[in-house]
Formats: sequence, C-alpha cells, structure tokens
Amino acid sequence: MKYLALVLKSARRSKRRTALTIVSVALAVFLFATLRAVLDGFTAGAAASSSTRIITIRSTSLIFSMPTSHADAIRSVPGVRDLTWANWFGGIYKDQAHSFANFAIEPESYLRMYPEILLSADERSAFLADRTGCIIGESLARTNGWKVGDRVTLKVGIPTYGTRDYDFTIRGIYRSSSSAVDTQSMMFHWKYADERSLVKGQAGWFITRIASPDQEAQVAGAIDAKFANSPYETKTDTEKAFASSFISMFGNLNLLLGSIALAVVVATLFVAGNTMAMSVRERTTEIAVMRTLGFPGGTIFSLIAIEALLMSIVGGVVGVVLARIAINPRVLPSGGFIPEVSVDTQNIVVGLGLSAVIGAVSGLIPATLAARLKIVDALRRVA
Amino acid sequence: MALIELRGVTKSYQRDSNEIVVLDGVTISIAEGDFMALMGPSGSGKSTLLNLLAGIDRPTRGAITVAGTDISGLSERALAAWRARHIGFIFQLYNLIPVLTAFENVELPLLLTGLTKKQRRDHVLTALGIVGLSDREKHYPRQLSGGQEQRVAIARAIVTDPTLLLADEPTGDLDAKSAAEILTLLQRLNRDYKKTIVMVTHDPHAAERASHVVHLEKGTLAETVVNG
Repeated sequence: MKYLALVLKSARRSKRRTALTIVSVALAVFLFATLRAVLDGFTAGAAASSSTRIITIRSTSLIFSMPTSHADAIRSVPGVRDLTWANWFGGIYKDQAHSFANFAIEPESYLRMYPEILLSADERSAFLADRTGCIIGESLARTNGWKVGDRVTLKVGIPTYGTRDYDFTIRGIYRSSSSAVDTQSMMFHWKYADERSLVKGQAGWFITRIASPDQEAQVAGAIDAKFANSPYETKTDTEKAFASSFISMFGNLNLLLGSIALAVVVATLFVAGNTMAMSVRERTTEIAVMRTLGFPGGTIFSLIAIEALLMSIVGGVVGVVLARIAINPRVLPSGGFIPEVSVDTQNIVVGLGLSAVIGAVSGLIPATLAARLKIVDALRRVA
Repeated sequence: MALIELRGVTKSYQRDSNEIVVLDGVTISIAEGDFMALMGPSGSGKSTLLNLLAGIDRPTRGAITVAGTDISGLSERALAAWRARHIGFIFQLYNLIPVLTAFENVELPLLLTGLTKKQRRDHVLTALGIVGLSDREKHYPRQLSGGQEQRVAIARAIVTDPTLLLADEPTGDLDAKSAAEILTLLQRLNRDYKKTIVMVTHDPHAAERASHVVHLEKGTLAETVVNG
C-alpha cells in the first residue's frame, strides 16, 4: 500500500502519454466488448432455438420461395404435429436507414408455433381479425414511438410484391420470452402480401413442429424426400441450423469479428508496451538511484508492472463502461436484421480481464529490464 | 578499529579482448567516524572505489569488509538489503525523483523499512531539519535551487541513519557558496553525528574539509595526507 502513491505519481509523470495509453486500451476493450456482444447476440438466437421445430427451405437458397401447396405434403409426413410458413417481405419504412425486418406470416398457425411471442388476448384477436393488421416487437415500437392503433406504411422492397405501398395498422406490440424471437421485427398477414404478389401462393420457409427432438433427422429426411427431383427441392434442418445458416449469410462472423478483435488487442499491446518501455527508459537514472538506495530488483519489477497494470485496467474500466452505455438495444437498435446486442456482465468481466492481460504483458519486458538494470552502467550513462 | 577494510581489491573490465584494470590491488582501512576525501585524476579509479564501497559494483578480486560484513560475497538481494541498512549515497547531480516532493524523496529509503507512516514522518522531518529545509518539505525538486536539492539529497542519504555516507563529487555541480554550505553540512554530520564519510572530489578546497585525503593514481594508492 505504501508503494501505491509512488506508482500513481510515476503514472502521472507524463499525463498526456498516460491518458493516451488509457484511451488506447479503452478503445480496444470497447471494440472487443462490442464485437463479442454482436457475436453473442447472433449465437444467443441459435442457442435458444427450439429442438422440436424444424425449418424447410428451398435446397438452392433461403432467398428462393416455394409453393404453399408443399404444406399439405409436409403435414402428411409421420411425426409432424403442426405447420406454418412465413415470407421475408423486405418492405422499406421511409428509407433504408429506417428499415427493420418485416415478415408475412400465416398468423394463426405462426402464433401457435411460436409461444415465445407474447401478446395480450385482445391484441391477439385484433391482429387475427384484421387482414391489414400487424404486430410489432416492443423494441421496434420503442424505437419509433409507435403504439397500438398507429398506421405504418411500407414501400415495396422486393418487386414480386407489386409496386403500391402497403398500409398497416398496429394491432399488437409483442414481447418475447426467448432469444429465439427478437422484438425488433414486424409481422403481418401472409394473405395481404400474397393477394398483391405477382407470383401467388409462395412461402419462403415452412416451420414444422415435430413430436420429439429424436425424430428430427427422420422427419427432415422424409420431408426432403417428398420433394426430391421436383422443381422445388427442399432442405430441412433444425431451427438452430436454420438460424446458423441465416447468420452465415453474413459470412464467417466468428473469424471476421475475432480477427478484428485480435488485431485491435495486439496493436494496443504494442502501444501500451512501447509506452511503458519509453517511460522506463526515461527513468533509467531514477531506477538506478532507487536500486542504490536498496530497492531490490523484485520491488522495482513490481512497481513498473503494477503501473502498467493499473493504467491498462483503468482503460479497461473506461472501455467496458462506454460499451455498456453505448451498446444496448435502446441506443443501438439492430432493426431486426441482426439480433439485439448488449454488453452483459460476462462481456464486462472478459473485457476487464483482457485489459489486465494487456497491462501484464505490456509491463513484463520493461519491468524485467528495470529489475535487471546494472546500477553502475545506468548511473554512468547519464553522468 | 577499522569500519571499512579493503584488502587487495582489484577491479577490471573486459573491453573487446583487452582487460582494463581500473583498481589494482588497493588496500585501505577507514576508521569509524572518519571523513576521508578520495582524489585523483580522471580514470584513477576513485569513483569505482566509491561504487565498490557502496555495494553497487563488485570487485574482480579482493575483499571488502564493512562493519564486519564481507560484502563481496553477498547475493544481489542481500546486497540490496545491506545497502538499504548501511549506505547513504550522495550523487553529484542530486538525482532526486522529480515527481516526488522533498518530503517524499527523503521518505523513499524508509519505505524499505518496517516503520509506520508516523515514524517515517518523524524521521523525514528530523532529516530535513538537520539539513535546514524543514520549510521545503512540500516543494518539488524543480522548485528548489541546486544547493537546496543537494541538501534534500543529503537528507535522503542520512534518513535511515546509515553506517557510512558516500558522496560522489557532491559539490561538482554547485556554485562556490552552495558548495561551501554543503561541505560545512558534511563536516557537521561527521563532527556532530559521528557519521563516517567517504567523499570523491576533484576540488582541493573540498578535500581540505576532510580529516585526511587519499590520492589514487592509475588504480593504485599514491599517497595519504592527513589534514591538520
């Protein structure tokens, strides 16, 4: 404790340099926590996926649709308990910057399939009764200041759905009981889109409830076999695999974000290490004097290492606090295109741990050199 | 009885394939309470001898015994502890830590002891009082004159009440008036506080303040003069 004042005074020796080091570590930790939060957001949806829901898409790609007549064939497969479908509508609200995810759903069966979508009984019946009604997630409602009864107009984003704008009335604002369902999307009646669609009776994907998770491979195989060698061959997988394939449309996020985070951390490590090395080099005489006074090499090592650690941890605290404030759905809505992201406690702990590692590693070499300094040589250098 | 015994001390350095001998078989005894000045031309080995006495350098051959301890055989860690206990070092360029106040600079060696904060404070104020700088405890080195900085450095050297005070050209960077004050202070420490002092100097006037002067030439003892 008696050395703490000495460490703090040394750190304040060059205030600008110390501040810049703290800022660089803060920036690295901020980016790291943010990127981790994004990755966590993506994987949370997949992790929370139901094991009794399987998804059928076109074998070519998710972006191609298939006839809703597939529904009857899928229902006939043994082990299938329920079925619904949905389409990616791609409608544009105001402009691309204000857009959010919007889906055309078969309402009754969809709400049955996803009990995670929480609506009041009144909102549910109002939505089901209104062909141009829609439901929106609570985050989306909060972002746009919408309430039940408000009118929302979407421009057509995919030419298949015609050219005229679509008008909707908000009939319900849903909450979600699971990460599998985000609250930044809008859902409306599939029929409303279908009746204006240039190609009628198309579904983007079918969602099937199976009796038991053990039957997943068997039922999926049977569904795909039904449409084999047809113009609309299918690919059926678990909801988790579907969520993962959706994420994979963004590329290998783990590798991409991981590489960026690693590059930032390594760059910061060099910055912090260089700062400490410069700081120690400037203090060569002082260290030699302290050694002459009787300070053991181990104590000198500790003083330098603690200084580096302290600067880095302060940077880490600044970084995680900024990330916590800046990265949350209220401040940074994802529009439903990517899952909601927020910096959780685990991210904070990892961020602070990272700053400690940066501090420890950056201080290691300067502290070792200071501890091993030959007193006579150091004093002679400046005499 | 001799406080310091140097027996056949040799210090040499290897430069490329040549061995440079800086001290060559020096044997000296320094009594407790002595004030000895070390003189000699540049390269005569006087600073090297001082560094060996301080335990910040090691002899190539020979033995150095201070207060009964053969310091040439101590480990690095033991030597550091020994320095903290027995040596007070005064540098030519004062070498105060610029980010610490006068008080904190003087307190620095006491951090290595088991003294409480209050005990440390008492010791520091006593040391600053002896050098006449009680009113400068909160000043940083940049706020002090050269003479005042050197007095703070002397306070730092005496605060642990060391066995031996070593001064390397303590007046070399000072004007005549400040230099005279520092030498008077060293004399007072020797006379009133019975401190054993070894001082390296080029200045014959400074050397006159010592009780005797040892001259070194090319790493060997040339002559010893006792001041009247």
